Amino acid sequence: MPKHEFSVDMSCEGCADAVSRVLNRIEGVEFTIDLSNKKVCITSEHSVDVLLATLKKTGKAVSYLGPK
Amino acid sequence: MDSNMNVHSITISVEGMTCNSCVRTIEQQIEKVNGVHHIKVSLEEKNATIIYDPELQTPKTLQEAINDMGFDAILHNANPLL
Repeated sequence: MPKHEFSVDMSCEGCADAVSRVLNRIEGVEFTIDLSNKKVCITSEHSVDVLLATLKKTGKAVSYLGPK
Repeated sequence: MDSNMNVHSITISVEGMTCNSCVRTIEQQIEKVNGVHHIKVSLEEKNATIIYDPELQTPKTLQEAINDMGFDAILHNANPLL
């Protein structure tokens, strides 16, 4: 499965929890959150657009860093 | 301006906020929602007080808007005060 890396502007545990909650709502995603580097790595068949839209629901600044 | 503009206020419990950045994010996002006049989020009391237009929003839709952002929003007073 493709692996994508995103930069998400998270500043605390609460922010990271919010990110994992929205990601858990869509099916078929596995992810790791690296709070200190503000990075989220997602393994999923979903398109980058879908993943980006999901991450943006949190209201944080999100950008796509590329495949991993 | 409509002199008897309908304005409701509701307080929603919000779990999962741990810092001021969470608070600001919620305020900024919910303020953009159609029909929301004002929102004040309290980190200490873990709640959000929202002043809204009942013709455009309901407590349920506001709760969902916060839930959508990845926080746990819980409704307490189902009958909002005027």
